[in-house]
Amino acid sequence: MSEEGAHRGQLAADRGGSELPATPRSSEPGDVVGEDADVDRVEARPAILEPAAELPDVPAVGAPGRLAQGGINAALGNASEDDPEVHAFDTVKGSDYLGDQDAIQILCDEAPADVYQLENWGAVFSRTEDGRIAQRPFGAAGAPRTAYAADITGHVLVQVLWEQVCKRDIPTYEEYFAWHLVENDGRCQGVVCWDLLDGGLKTIGAKTVILATGGAGRLYVGTTNAYSCTGDAMAMALRIGLPLKDMEMMQFHPTTLAPTGVLITEGCRGEGAYLLNKDGERFLKRYAPNTMELASRDVISRAEQMEIDAGRDVDGNVLLDLRHLGAERIIERLPGSRELAMTFLGVDPIYDPIPVRPGAHYHMGGVATDVWGQTELTGLYASGECACVSVHGANRLGGNALMETITYGKRSGRHAAEWALSHTTVEVPESAERDAERELKALLERGDGERPWSIRDELATTMHENFGVFRRERQMQEQGEIVSGLRERYQRVLLEDKGEIFNSDLTQAIELGFLLDLAECMVVAGIERKESRGAHARPDDYPDRDDEKFLKHTIVRLVDGTPQLSWEPVRMTKWEPQERKY
Amino acid sequence: MQMALKIWRYDSSTGERALKEYEIEAPEWATLLDCLDIVKDKHDGSLAFRKSCRMMICGSCGMRMDGAAVLACKTRMYDIAQEGRVPVISAMGNLPIRKDLVVDMDPFWSKFKAMWPWLEPGYDRPEDGREYRISQERMNVVHKESLCINCGCCVSECNAMESDPEFLGPQALAKGMRFVGDPRDGATVERLERYNSEHGIWDCTRCYFCNERCPKGVDPRDAIAKLGAESIRLGIDRDMGAKHAKWFVRSAETTGWLREEELIPKTQGYVSAIKQLKFGASLARHGKVRPVPIPHTARDVNEARNLRKVVREQDRQGALGHVQGEHALAKLDHGHQSESLEQIYDRPGASPRPFLPGEGSAEGQGSLTQADVTPGKEPTRKRGED
Repeated sequence: MSEEGAHRGQLAADRGGSELPATPRSSEPGDVVGEDADVDRVEARPAILEPAAELPDVPAVGAPGRLAQGGINAALGNASEDDPEVHAFDTVKGSDYLGDQDAIQILCDEAPADVYQLENWGAVFSRTEDGRIAQRPFGAAGAPRTAYAADITGHVLVQVLWEQVCKRDIPTYEEYFAWHLVENDGRCQGVVCWDLLDGGLKTIGAKTVILATGGAGRLYVGTTNAYSCTGDAMAMALRIGLPLKDMEMMQFHPTTLAPTGVLITEGCRGEGAYLLNKDGERFLKRYAPNTMELASRDVISRAEQMEIDAGRDVDGNVLLDLRHLGAERIIERLPGSRELAMTFLGVDPIYDPIPVRPGAHYHMGGVATDVWGQTELTGLYASGECACVSVHGANRLGGNALMETITYGKRSGRHAAEWALSHTTVEVPESAERDAERELKALLERGDGERPWSIRDELATTMHENFGVFRRERQMQEQGEIVSGLRERYQRVLLEDKGEIFNSDLTQAIELGFLLDLAECMVVAGIERKESRGAHARPDDYPDRDDEKFLKHTIVRLVDGTPQLSWEPVRMTKWEPQERKY
Repeated sequence: MQMALKIWRYDSSTGERALKEYEIEAPEWATLLDCLDIVKDKHDGSLAFRKSCRMMICGSCGMRMDGAAVLACKTRMYDIAQEGRVPVISAMGNLPIRKDLVVDMDPFWSKFKAMWPWLEPGYDRPEDGREYRISQERMNVVHKESLCINCGCCVSECNAMESDPEFLGPQALAKGMRFVGDPRDGATVERLERYNSEHGIWDCTRCYFCNERCPKGVDPRDAIAKLGAESIRLGIDRDMGAKHAKWFVRSAETTGWLREEELIPKTQGYVSAIKQLKFGASLARHGKVRPVPIPHTARDVNEARNLRKVVREQDRQGALGHVQGEHALAKLDHGHQSESLEQIYDRPGASPRPFLPGEGSAEGQGSLTQADVTPGKEPTRKRGED
């Protein structure tokens, strides 16, 4: 991430009235193309400088990464003594030992410099008394390590990255919906897109492509994720035969609002909020006596679910109590959370606890990559939530997502740029758009069938019921059957919008297809992981972690259209698995 | 709940425009965005609108309801449905409509980019390779501006932009203030020169609609005022708008009242003022301006002078003269001033006060332990069973 020296005089001369990105042309070659809108996509580019392009399917600044509220973890040591080594151990332990330790070490070592870079670019971090970046405690962290900007950290980081994209005048293809990857000559050489705003298939040739579409939270009815989090990149990679890793690992965040899963940040607990059951009891004393509300997310989500299942709930919720923090602190440090609670529930946390429950939040699994973000296919990279390096293993720590996205986004961008600079050709075969054309024709010409919403809602409800915080053999089997039934119904999915301009009826139907593919992979992996580890908890048949048999990653890939499961060892360096207590 | 919506449908490829009414069944917690989803799912799949986060941070779903810009995801519909009102939903103003509620954001972004919307680092880079050292108080100067989610609601409502589509507009100018107010930025003068040019800060009509309609409390008009104050502080005051503002201050400080007849020459220059004498006389004939008062000094002139003194003493020059800080952000009402935690816990209907297991009085909590963290045999049931 080199920072060009900004010259004041030059600024007025050549940046004035900077133009919008050039109108994209079909098959216009670029060196690096990043897909979709997330923090990592924007991050990748500044490592490359020129020429590169990005194609978000929602406007870049509406990126899902913006939803992240609480903060970004780096061992800066601003609030107390800290060390990347401690950060790494916390992350390894948090991952329930499924994280690849070399990848974790890289993340924790590079994180501080990356956070300083973001600050030097202008990120509006909150400050300590002595003017440094402020850090707050987060779950399962050995030190107050989470750098934050009030409770809008993700928003602030997306802004600063978008500013750097503008500064470098990097072309962006806004609202291009990435649909198929172009595979040619054993390399990924571009992306076939649907132009959402103007209509039509547009294919962009590229020497390298970085996938960065975020997660697939929309698989669940209660999710913190944006509508655009439909796992597009994972499904696109899956469909060209690439492996997906640890797909059963879906994290449930302990504090989301009923009914739709709007996120209330872990920062609330970082600031000292309590979790209470209906009687007012801080029930975590019985589950995680040492760390209480700052245990890791999987632990707290399970504790909440058990309280709820045992009838100590308030209408299916437990209570997040901020009252004792006082009005001033709530307003100063957690204004966004207060705004959300007031807007969606009419609850002012100064006076009343916020009813919360676990909701689908973060997919630890994703497209398998190495520590440079490379997938199995030359020229294709993935970073952020859609990728699985794997840093988070079976459970991600709060504040590590933004950090992974920044650090591994940077590494992917850098590697992709170097590769692009040493290779010259881009060849997009005539046939590249054939699959998309065929699917498009089928979707647009179908005269009767089923509207997508009923399939979508059924998928999201049943995934929540059968593949949620707790998993049981029978329910997972049943979910497998439900998903294949839904996939069959999807073959007759009916569009009502046949037009060209902003046809979101079309793109939402395509997204539903992506989700169905991923659900199938998750269930296959979930059934075969016969243990309880991190987010994958099987209370009835396999309540314990089984390192002997399952200290390994699940790998799912499509073989003849059917997901096939295999296993891959965890890359261990110096941390031996221990019992995990908080 | 039952409710109805009227939506302005539009297709830019055919130019067809129609107001259509939809009767829907929506849950009581539904927002406008949820209602639009129901329309799209179950009534008309061709309805076009943008959406993403549904929690007021992505800025995708700006639109108008009954003529006022809103974020659809922030707009709860319960009260409207109870009143039996049928709201009219339409696309944002001041931006070309592409389809239904989707506008072309290109003009928005070209203005955004014209602001040099990135930090131009100043001369004092951190020597230790770490972060800039800045106090929270100093950072607060740009806190409101950095809350902007680029939704376009302020632009939609901007009256100045309606008459001058080239006007940089509230969003872009607020973005400008975000950097002008940032101590790390080293291009303040160049920025202010640019923002002071034609279609810049002085073209704002001060209607305050942007402040009123911003869903995030950015208060763009305040940002524009801060840019004006910073410009004058740094001597960038060639624009008539700046001269106009300066004359108000000067006039109040010297005589304690506004000497309007001097306003035009002081703002536009004497030549221009002389040219407008005829127009002025015509205004006077029709009683549109008061007769020229006898020159005097107001009785309470010291109040005006003291105000200036206070500002000087507190060294609140330029943008710092405006109320700053995170407390100014809390636009939502809260009457916490006098209530202690005990009083909050004792409010009627309050939730039980927190206690630790073993310390409280609650009954029947079982004896779950650490072992339950990776759950063992604790019977669990699905919600809805028993």
